[in-house]
Amino acid sequence: MNAIARQRRRIALLALAGLVLLALAMLAGLCLGERFIPPAKALGALFLGTGDAGDVLVVGRFRAPRVLGAVIAGAGLATAGAILQRLARNPLASPDVIGISGGASLGAVAAIALGLAAPLTPLAALAGGLAAAGLLGLLSLPVYGAKASPRRGTGMSATRLILVGLAVQAGLTAAVNLFIVRFPAELASSALHWTTGSLYGRNWTEVLTGGTAVIAALLVALLLHRRLAVLDLGDDASGSLGLRPATGRLQLLAVAVVLASLAVALTGPVGFVALAVPHLVRRLAGPPTAGTLALTALCGALLLLAADLVVQHALPIHGLPVGVVTATVGAPWLLVLMSRQTRPTLRTAP
Amino acid sequence: MTANELTAAGLSLAYGRNTIVDELDLVLPGGAVTAIVGPNACGKSTLLRGLARLVEPAAGTVAIDGHDVHRMSARALARRLGLLPQQPTAPDGISVEALVRLGRYPHQKALRPWTAADQHAVEEALRRTDTADLRDRAVDHLSGGQRQRAWIALALAQDTPLLLLDEPTTFLDLRHQLDVLDLVADLNATADRTVVMVLHDLGQAARYADHLVVMHDGKPAATGRPADVLTAELVEAVFGVPCRIVPDPETGTPLIVPKARTERATQTRPS
Repeated sequence: MNAIARQRRRIALLALAGLVLLALAMLAGLCLGERFIPPAKALGALFLGTGDAGDVLVVGRFRAPRVLGAVIAGAGLATAGAILQRLARNPLASPDVIGISGGASLGAVAAIALGLAAPLTPLAALAGGLAAAGLLGLLSLPVYGAKASPRRGTGMSATRLILVGLAVQAGLTAAVNLFIVRFPAELASSALHWTTGSLYGRNWTEVLTGGTAVIAALLVALLLHRRLAVLDLGDDASGSLGLRPATGRLQLLAVAVVLASLAVALTGPVGFVALAVPHLVRRLAGPPTAGTLALTALCGALLLLAADLVVQHALPIHGLPVGVVTATVGAPWLLVLMSRQTRPTLRTAP
Repeated sequence: MTANELTAAGLSLAYGRNTIVDELDLVLPGGAVTAIVGPNACGKSTLLRGLARLVEPAAGTVAIDGHDVHRMSARALARRLGLLPQQPTAPDGISVEALVRLGRYPHQKALRPWTAADQHAVEEALRRTDTADLRDRAVDHLSGGQRQRAWIALALAQDTPLLLLDEPTTFLDLRHQLDVLDLVADLNATADRTVVMVLHDLGQAARYADHLVVMHDGKPAATGRPADVLTAELVEAVFGVPCRIVPDPETGTPLIVPKARTERATQTRPS
């Protein structure tokens, strides 16, 4: 069996394991809580509406949307991170580092603070995310000078993108905070709670609309994967293979922004899922393919759901937002990545 | 008109305000191996990128058999003309076969899966470049010569009648340089590919090319058969190196022998 077939089998096995774990975690999310509901009863209450009326309410109204929200947001964030990291050729590129999540947060917080109807929140987040991406693109456009290198003259420089992105993210976070301190206390506190990244109080409307959109965007991402693979070869190689690098990058960037913004609209800016999951999948499944992209979505869903379960049931403090947990785990991870990047890379002999 | 003839008319290429190639007219014969040579920063690579439409021209046109490449769709062009960039970088960990498969991109359609024709083109490319044994190896773990052959295999899998190679022998040792050039000669002779390549070594260019373009300051200083083009006067004018041209003892093609250091010193620094 050759390398391609071996990797495919590996991805299939990992996906199978991931799906089993995800199913178990989702079931745990339905059963666990202040009152434990046995699996059979929980599933009956959710799908058939049978059993105790209280169970039906708790599982159907509160637990199920929360579980689905975590799955959808985790998948969206991880996929967005994987796409951005490959476009920027930098493992630090992820929506929460380069300002996309900041833009989406600002849009959503503005919508909440201005008292707009709840269904508008995802749209406002999307608008914010796209605006942040536009700003980022504008600020990190290559500047031609007399000494501009002809070969590297096109496309975005990864370092520039990351640095500009950090600044954009910082600026947008400041704007979010401004909204929170300037607006009426009750609106501001719900906005504040939202910015820490929480799955508390998600409802069916939010989850279903967000979920449909995220699934559609994931399918588009998988369809565009060939372009992403060609872009991985560099601008000249992709141009000579018949893909204009600027066009391909813009399409994939748009998909990544949509995925990240929709996820942020559901959960708030949960950090580090988008940064860490693509690396994890790469370690487990090898060099990127369409299969690993799908696996990334699956692992993102699993990770965020698991983190949310930990927040709800395994910590002594109650009511912590899930973003706090992912950030606590994620910060050391980011440091490890950065230290690896600055260290000279050693090529192992074949 | 010969098939796969590449022509540039009034072609100007610039990066920002920095004009690299200035109103160039050029005909590159179809079915031949053309070498583009010239001193550093003379616009060789830029010209190649311009011919492959990787740089939008500031003025002028490029045409394949009279068809303006700027009116073709990106994919249609990529089915006629492939370019191997200088020092391309493969994604970390990608295997040779996975890399070569990407050469099929311009032939693939959105929802159509991998076809037998795709696989056939990949196998053929691996066979021709002698990389079939390396198919499962990671490209970033290969030696320089193996890596270059893997990239040429990608360009071959693209299955274009026109193949443009930007400095395919740079950073290779002598044996691997000759391997690559032999492969080029082979592709031209047995696979009917028209090849245009940028080279540094004038002797190798003279040996392997049917047609030579000597670039100087963004313009062709001379074009034609290597034996006609390479004269001591031209080499001195373009490269600033006084030399003698002798017949290559192996092939009879022109061989450049720079004059001895002492003689050059007295010639270039007249008192």
